[in-house]
Amino acid sequence: MKTLEILAEGRGDYLKVDPDGFREWVRDHKNRALVPKLMSEKEAVEKLVQDGDYIVYECNYLQRGPSALIREVIRQGKKDLWVGAKFTWVSAALLVGAGCASKLDVGFFLFGPVVEQAVREGRVKAYEYSNVVMTNRLMAGAMGLPFLPVRSFGGTDGFNYSGAKLITDPYAGEPITIVPALNPDVALIHVHQADVYGNARIFGTGISHTEAALASRKVIVSTEEIIDTEEIRRDPGRTTIPYYVVDAVVHLPFGAYPGEMQGRYASDIPHVIEVVGATLRGFVEQYLQKWVHSVSSHAEMLEKLVGEQNLEGLKARATIKDGYAP
Amino acid sequence: MNKPKGEKAANFNEREHQICLVARMIEDGRTYWVAGGGSPMAAILLGKKLYAPSAIYVTEDGVLAPEPMLPLDPIMTMVSARASYRALQWGTMNSVGFQAQVGLMDCGILNTLQVDPYGNINSTALGDYEGEHRRFGGPGGADSIASLCWRTILMTDQQKRKFVPRVDFVSSPGFLDGSEGARERAGLPRGTGPWRVVTPWAVFDYQERRLRLAGVSPFVTVDDVLAEMSFQPLIAAKIETLETPTEDELALLRTELDQRGQITDVGRWVVRQDDGSFAFAEGGKGGDPSLPRSW
Repeated sequence: MKTLEILAEGRGDYLKVDPDGFREWVRDHKNRALVPKLMSEKEAVEKLVQDGDYIVYECNYLQRGPSALIREVIRQGKKDLWVGAKFTWVSAALLVGAGCASKLDVGFFLFGPVVEQAVREGRVKAYEYSNVVMTNRLMAGAMGLPFLPVRSFGGTDGFNYSGAKLITDPYAGEPITIVPALNPDVALIHVHQADVYGNARIFGTGISHTEAALASRKVIVSTEEIIDTEEIRRDPGRTTIPYYVVDAVVHLPFGAYPGEMQGRYASDIPHVIEVVGATLRGFVEQYLQKWVHSVSSHAEMLEKLVGEQNLEGLKARATIKDGYAP
Repeated sequence: MNKPKGEKAANFNEREHQICLVARMIEDGRTYWVAGGGSPMAAILLGKKLYAPSAIYVTEDGVLAPEPMLPLDPIMTMVSARASYRALQWGTMNSVGFQAQVGLMDCGILNTLQVDPYGNINSTALGDYEGEHRRFGGPGGADSIASLCWRTILMTDQQKRKFVPRVDFVSSPGFLDGSEGARERAGLPRGTGPWRVVTPWAVFDYQERRLRLAGVSPFVTVDDVLAEMSFQPLIAAKIETLETPTEDELALLRTELDQRGQITDVGRWVVRQDDGSFAFAEGGKGGDPSLPRSW
């Protein structure tokens, strides 16, 4: 019998790979029946995000991401999260600054003094990947596989601080990098439209929302708009995420605020500059105090801190509509 | 390289000059995977406008061949309606990654914090990664761009601390240790790798996988360039004098592609002298190199 040779391997921790365990979770927890899953962001995060969970968000705090859900996770003071920090800008720094995160799988994000200090003091550990390798890992998780061969990442120093391995491809005989599948505990995804069962539509580009939804044990979808299931049935090709992987549907208009929601509203530029500045200059705590802790919900934040007039202005700036409606 | 269009401009800044150099390298009918935002995006947009209208570009969020509505809001260079306007396909990061993996992406354009003689790229940490270091954002999409595109153009500044004998951290692969087949031995696709490094002062190519000085801007000398490198590169037998920006290029850049000066307002200014030569203007404004301009 031949043994498969491992030519090199990274020494970073990675979330345990357990495709059969994940299947059993899906068998036991994902409801195949069409049942309404509407709940508030408070209830969804209380119920579905536990301390110690591995969490992914699709896109990020500034670009059609689940910004309101991220703020709720911070508001509830979740602890010891392992964050899949791909394509991130400020989300990871906010979670670290809030004391919610203890591990980061890095694709890209703004470090800034708050994360630097947390890493230096050993409160947070960073493992190195790239954006695409992280989405490839989610793809493997969504395929029910234990790992995926990838043609990037080999030869880098990041490889050495990751869960990747270099093996000899048993088919073509050449060296090939493999990366561990990722089956997160929680995925937070913000969408344009969903029905109450969780059939969801995203219009426009994205990172790995379909893969993250399929790969994760618990999926919270926040949506700009609740639509009737009849509308889903009239145009099923538009369903980006099918209901049976979704555990909670949260109706959150402006849920991507301060980021842009393509076709619906533009980003709030002063707010974007405020939060990027807070991240780069170490004022995350002040930012969170103002935008997260001083209010009890997303709706209250919009009403008290943003205001109807500003929201109308953001809507008016979203002039491009092509492709963002069925 | 495309011949510059228009009359030579009397003054410009270094960043504008660098973007024009890359824009003239853009070829019709080829695909470019560019870092969203910053100089790489300005270069592909300028190249498409002036030199290669049928060049195609994609960004990391799966936008294929957009006709973006400029200017873009700050940070909103991806997953935004303006950046992805009139594209041919809206995909995802996985879909563009797979398209690159099968060989559809001809050329990547990237920024870097540091580069070494073999074109390795650091965007993760300056200093000792396991000891004292300053941390940066990580490879983002650059690792896949540098791994999977057939060629890679790297943009950086001509500074001693940027051109180092060995990058502090290989975030994205160049020719790795420079030996023949090093990329393939690391599992990367055959026949790929670094192609050019472009700074405001110089253009480098590669000979036998090692960086070679090939062109120098007219407002600096070869010695000026070498003095701003921490290693000795190979030097081409004939060094080209790089063409400075034209009025046409700058007009597009200033009025259309970078209206707010977010990309270009970070270099020293260069001014034409009475004798027709170019020299740095006094009191040029330098940007804070630690602030993220692009990734």
